[in-house]
Amino acid sequence: MNISVRLRKFPFWSWLWFILGVLYFVLPLFATLEFSLGMQRDVLSLKAYQKAFADPKFWQTFGYSVFLAVMTIIVSIILIVPTAYWIRLRLPEARRIVEFITLLPFVIPAIILVFGLIRVYSTPFHIPFTNIYLGQPLTNFKFGTNILIIGGYMVLGLPYMYRSVDTGMRTVDVRTLTEAAQSLGANWFVVIARVILPNIRTALLSGSLLTFAIVVGEVVLASFLGVQAFGPYLFLLGQHRAYEPAALTFTTFLMTWAAMGIIQLVTGGQGQTAGAH
Amino acid sequence: MAHLTLSNISKHFGNFSAVRDFNLEVERGEFVSFLGPSGCGKTTTLRMIAGFETPSSGKIAIDDVDITHKAPSQRNVGMVFQSYALFPNMTVAQNIGFGLRIRKEPEDAVKKRVDEMLALIHLEAKGNSYPYQLSGGQQQRVALARALAIRPQVLLLDEPLSALDAKIRVSLRAEIRAIQRELGITAIYVTHDQEEALSISDRIVVMREGEVDQIGTPFEIYNFPKTRFVASFVGTLNTALAEVVDPAQGLLNMNGSLLKIADGVNGKRKGDKVMIAIRPERLSFLSEGKKENILEGRVENITFLGAVVRIQLKIAGATFNMDTFNRPSLELPQIGDTTQATCSAKAVLMLSE
Repeated sequence: MNISVRLRKFPFWSWLWFILGVLYFVLPLFATLEFSLGMQRDVLSLKAYQKAFADPKFWQTFGYSVFLAVMTIIVSIILIVPTAYWIRLRLPEARRIVEFITLLPFVIPAIILVFGLIRVYSTPFHIPFTNIYLGQPLTNFKFGTNILIIGGYMVLGLPYMYRSVDTGMRTVDVRTLTEAAQSLGANWFVVIARVILPNIRTALLSGSLLTFAIVVGEVVLASFLGVQAFGPYLFLLGQHRAYEPAALTFTTFLMTWAAMGIIQLVTGGQGQTAGAH
Repeated sequence: MAHLTLSNISKHFGNFSAVRDFNLEVERGEFVSFLGPSGCGKTTTLRMIAGFETPSSGKIAIDDVDITHKAPSQRNVGMVFQSYALFPNMTVAQNIGFGLRIRKEPEDAVKKRVDEMLALIHLEAKGNSYPYQLSGGQQQRVALARALAIRPQVLLLDEPLSALDAKIRVSLRAEIRAIQRELGITAIYVTHDQEEALSISDRIVVMREGEVDQIGTPFEIYNFPKTRFVASFVGTLNTALAEVVDPAQGLLNMNGSLLKIADGVNGKRKGDKVMIAIRPERLSFLSEGKKENILEGRVENITFLGAVVRIQLKIAGATFNMDTFNRPSLELPQIGDTTQATCSAKAVLMLSE
């Protein structure tokens, strides 16, 4: 093959855009990494990482954020999977409305959401239109605040989780698979647990990963609800330290990549199984 | 007592009536096909038997037990879908064993049954394969095995061969029929392919616009269609209007040509207009042997269809197709020639609308 033919076959523009894209995403990350390694003058060191990890508050807030993220993911899956499934199966006419609702977090800022939550749930529970009080305001105790913040995070993650699940369901013939399982004797629970969920596993993991990333880095809800989460900790750290926040930011990137790797590992070889035919 | 009984089944979707007053009794081990064009209600009827649709009125019973309002999972009815509907996350063996595991059968019994089913569909070596690793024909055989593994009382097949190519369709339909005969299972088969229905069924239910037009054996449906729709939907048919001349003798006048009909004129009186039909293969050249009816026509076209030659004739103002076996000794007229065709009185059918 001569050079001119080779040049003609070389996808120059594709590679150009790919390299530009990589530079756009990788350069800032590289700058963060380089900065985080420069805590000691003229030497590349992991000192910023050591200092950041040595802070017990890091582990405390990070652990708490991971807990919130996992709970948010579980609640989201419990609510969103059956909803998306039912809409696809029985209520296709409701799809537009639900899609619109799932997009609302993009147009309503988190600050509005958190003030709304505080406004509604900072007063004691009572039966509407009566003076009968049933309990303390949710904002007054830790468990109640956890419920509020997980609910809030679920709303923030809704566009990502719903779309992931819906896209996953689009790739499998949900209706026919459901009917096939039912004709073999499966009830609704078995259909969802053993037929639908395993076939949208990749979509669920993608949605979960996005939700995880949102929750772990979230600042507004956590700050205003007064919880000791990782987002506000990182924000406060950045106000009076330089190198440690960079080290922690890079660490969260690494964790995100690790999560993506896990997705690849778990779903490896399953790509072609989606779709009923 | 019939094995499967559908009594006065109707199904409405809003103002649209998908199935109207459907009645059918299916004997144990019988293979019945629902045949008709798209939208005639055949799949809706099948889905009502499966439990995926609830009849607006009427009753469905298996062995005299009313299952009209039972959930699909409670009916013990196996179903094979057009799109195979194999569970992509499960292997072939897991797919086949799914229904048995749902029924909490012991694991060794499940394994034994799965092996039996794999042997039945000749895919013993594919037990550990995933559906995407199989061809379309193999996937549909697995779907059939999965539906049969639970020992269903009735097997439902919803256009199971439509997604396959022509050659596999023919071999698989023979396989389905052989397996159904071997197991002696009652089967309901939905198709819009008349050749498929004729070749595979004990009886055919021809449907049109939500209603049953005719129920009969493939022989009856093809040779003695009761309505114009059945006659035109199943096979090729020549139709023409004729006038009753002599009701007692069964004599008709087709635009100047006299025709004798063997089965009588069904209560019609002299001067009544009737629709008659003759299958192309029931017409032959007069030179090959004279029969009761002789029709003179002009040759308009000649088409070679391999084993058969189709001659298009203009007879008494109507266009008739005549099919004759292709053989080296066949002497064909030229296009534009006038020729004489003949048919027996039994070949002339009178159709209702």
